[in-house]
Amino acid sequence: MTAVVTGIDALQYFIPEFILGITGFAILAAGMFGSSRKVNASITFVSLAASFVYTLTMFNHPVYVLSSTFLLDNFGLYFMLLFLAAGMLITFPAIINISAKSEIFFSLLLFTTVGMIIAASSSNLIVLFVSFEAVSTGTYVMTAFHKTERTLEASTKYFFTGAVSTSIIVLGISYFYEATGTFYLSPSPAIISSGAMLVSLILLVIGFGFKLAIFPMHQWAIDTYDGSENSVSAFLSTGSKLVAFMIMLRVFVSGFYGDANDFYIIFTLLAIVTMTYGNFSALSETNLKRLLAYSSVAQAGYLILVFSAAGYAIGISDTNLMEYAVAAGMIYSLVYIFMKGGAFLAMNLSSTKKVDVSDLSGLNKKSPAAALSLSILLLSLAGIPFTGGFLGKFFLFLALIEVKLWWLAVIAILNSAVSVFYYLRVILVMYRGEPSENIKVSSLGVIPLVVCAAAVIILGVYFALFSTVLGFVGGLFR
Amino acid sequence: MLMMELYIALFLLSVVTFLSGKNAKVYSLAVSGAFLLIFLFYFSYRYWGLSAVHGTLQTIPISPAYGFNFSLQSSGLSAVLVVIATFVIFAAIFVSSGNYSQVFYGLIMLTMSGLIGLLLSANLLFFYIFWEVVLVPVYFLIGLYGNRRSDTVSLKFFVYTHIGSVLMLLSFFSLYTYYFYETNGSFSMSISSLMNPALFETMPVFWRGFVFFGLFVAFLVKLPSFPLHSWLPDSYETAPYPVTIVLAGALSIMGGYGFFGILLPVVKVIPQGFLLALIVLGIISLIYFSLSAMSQLSMKRMMAYASAAAMGFVTISFGSGAIELQNSFSPSLYNLAFAGGMYQVLVHGLIMAMIFSSLYYVTKSTGKEMIGSLGGIFRGAPVISSFLLVGLLASLGLPGMAGFVAEFSVLAGIYGEIGMWILLIIFAMLITASYHIWMAQRTLFGPYNEVLGNIHDAGASSSAILTVMMLAIIFLGVFPHSVFELFTNYASGVVIP
Repeated sequence: MTAVVTGIDALQYFIPEFILGITGFAILAAGMFGSSRKVNASITFVSLAASFVYTLTMFNHPVYVLSSTFLLDNFGLYFMLLFLAAGMLITFPAIINISAKSEIFFSLLLFTTVGMIIAASSSNLIVLFVSFEAVSTGTYVMTAFHKTERTLEASTKYFFTGAVSTSIIVLGISYFYEATGTFYLSPSPAIISSGAMLVSLILLVIGFGFKLAIFPMHQWAIDTYDGSENSVSAFLSTGSKLVAFMIMLRVFVSGFYGDANDFYIIFTLLAIVTMTYGNFSALSETNLKRLLAYSSVAQAGYLILVFSAAGYAIGISDTNLMEYAVAAGMIYSLVYIFMKGGAFLAMNLSSTKKVDVSDLSGLNKKSPAAALSLSILLLSLAGIPFTGGFLGKFFLFLALIEVKLWWLAVIAILNSAVSVFYYLRVILVMYRGEPSENIKVSSLGVIPLVVCAAAVIILGVYFALFSTVLGFVGGLFR
Repeated sequence: MLMMELYIALFLLSVVTFLSGKNAKVYSLAVSGAFLLIFLFYFSYRYWGLSAVHGTLQTIPISPAYGFNFSLQSSGLSAVLVVIATFVIFAAIFVSSGNYSQVFYGLIMLTMSGLIGLLLSANLLFFYIFWEVVLVPVYFLIGLYGNRRSDTVSLKFFVYTHIGSVLMLLSFFSLYTYYFYETNGSFSMSISSLMNPALFETMPVFWRGFVFFGLFVAFLVKLPSFPLHSWLPDSYETAPYPVTIVLAGALSIMGGYGFFGILLPVVKVIPQGFLLALIVLGIISLIYFSLSAMSQLSMKRMMAYASAAAMGFVTISFGSGAIELQNSFSPSLYNLAFAGGMYQVLVHGLIMAMIFSSLYYVTKSTGKEMIGSLGGIFRGAPVISSFLLVGLLASLGLPGMAGFVAEFSVLAGIYGEIGMWILLIIFAMLITASYHIWMAQRTLFGPYNEVLGNIHDAGASSSAILTVMMLAIIFLGVFPHSVFELFTNYASGVVIP
């Protein structure tokens, strides 16, 4: 049974949040006394790492706190680790481009991460909404950092679409309350598909769909990823995106359990158009950051296949298969952080703001390690074996076949084959031709890539991970 | 026994090639040569009695609860193919001019270890992984070292094969899922438990078809067969010669191994429509590729089509053999067809390696690749011309050479099933013979093309490797018994009537 903790004892379960929050203020204070950006980054990294380690100790003791608005179980903790890892990944690379007032950037990063890990540990719609807003607000400011014309444009687009999507989410939540009479997300098959439920479903799909950048709610993402700093793009496309994905798992798979057929249909349609649109748009793109942004849209399409498989499995009343689908999505999220985050961080290898594919030509001659690592990351995005991307797609497609959605698996796989075109194009450019003068190799640019590539390779051969993650899925339904 | 240790050693030594610096060619030659000898002796010892069908199964558990294991097991078929693949890659490294960097040799060595892993894998998961992983080094070999249009051609190669292989992955998933239902909750990816007719019989008709469709597409792309072939002439032409040798000699084994190594145990349950389609595609491939070859202007491209046409025999033999089995013909008949198909996979690799090696030397000494710009080079370079001639004669199926044995046994084995349609195959063989001879006439003999100036003949080292190939081809043509018996035993041991 899940323990229930009340009163002041509950505070001990928020130590990861406290570590980050207090450090955030400390960095702001240190900034007043002129601490350098390297110091700020180091403090940020240490506090994220401390929070990460503490979170690890909380596994396997599920507990309800604060009037059951918070639920700390393995499912949420797993995502907390992912978000903390996403934060750690961009801390040091951010030094390259964040020159002035770095304390503000790093404290923002910490505050945003607090919002993320709170989102991971709640199954109450109000708490989820508030933490989701905290993440959004933090990332609005991070996107606009430095206030250049490019970043301001990116941030404005992000802010306006974000504000609209937020209001749609609130509307959706109110319909949810109307239909179910509760803000708690728990699977109650008694709720049958009602009119209010369907309206709520559509509104929530639209609202969260903006954050996940699924077609047709994706256009802001292309411009924002392109316009913001490289490490911010990396953070937006990994951490911020996965928060939306995690919340969607909670909201749809758990909250709309009784309405699975509807979200199966909606997400299947969205997944097909999102994958296809993302991949085909990326084909003709020569701006590398936009190419990665479109590929990120396509990847969101793969991610929401989880909802198709899970929804279909619930529809045929097979909870085992539903759990496989969710676990496949969780594995994919883990791999996604490293492969997509790493790929965006690779933009730091170019000295230009608008990174063209040709800007990386001949990278192999300047830095073989960077070229090899980026190749591994791109191969992983394409889903080639011995990389984490293969593992993620492997379990995702396996989940689809297990619920006998063979036609959807075929569509996804053909899409995956199309994506090979543009990833391999980039790889070939790096290994051929003369080094372009825009390449700027620094240890801060290369080391994160090597780390990501190593992580992707390790994940690629660690098949046993699936059974571990499968054990975490139950937390979705407590 | 020892297989796993050998394989891991091979893989690690291949990776080391990337670090071998200036000595890359010598190093990779030494490693592949050593493994050629090791495999040759190991498998000769293992399969000398000709009775063994499978070797010992060795397993490294990865996630056993889900059936994911790295396991290796040789069979009479894969043993021979491993030896031939190692030999072809050894030859490719041997003939390469030595101006290449360690990356080039490293990629070739990786291709070799991936290919051998594929041939020995006893687990479908790793069969798939190796199938896919082999693509990556070859993609780079074509893309980085190819001549004109290498970027688009290498992409085309990759995407074609990738689509085939992901469809294959879906087939494996379906099998995996049905195995789970069938056994009420246990998982397996091992070839022996999934490639089992009893499992297929429990599956709904649609899913059975789905599984075979995915596998057929993957294998037909790789063979290649009409209409999935268009990557082949481009890739063979664009790739540098050592890579073409690897492609034509070693990688062409993959498709054939897919049919005879993976699908052979379940031929009983393949829908007849699929098998008929296989035969028809095989016949179309034979005729269409032979006609296309005839109209080519470049020797390399012509031989690429010749290579594709020869694989028509593989699909025809597999399809007809399987139908014969389903219609309860005599086992000796369909085993003959199957063994003939396997023999074709084997000798095709060898013959193509020889043809492309000698073409390489011809191109090196004359600087020309187009048929029209050559002529009468036998006068200036008699040794290399003779070797090319031997290769061409072997390829067209001259009795006494290895190709004849394969084609003859396929024809003998399938006649019972396809009857008068065999005339179409004979017709294709006539075209094959004619364009081979025609090409020899236009390039090797006839009046000397004075534009070429003075050409030099092959040196001692090139003669040595070509002599080895020639002897192997003649040996397999004159004493086919040694290997053929092994294949027949393998077929009769594996096929479940």
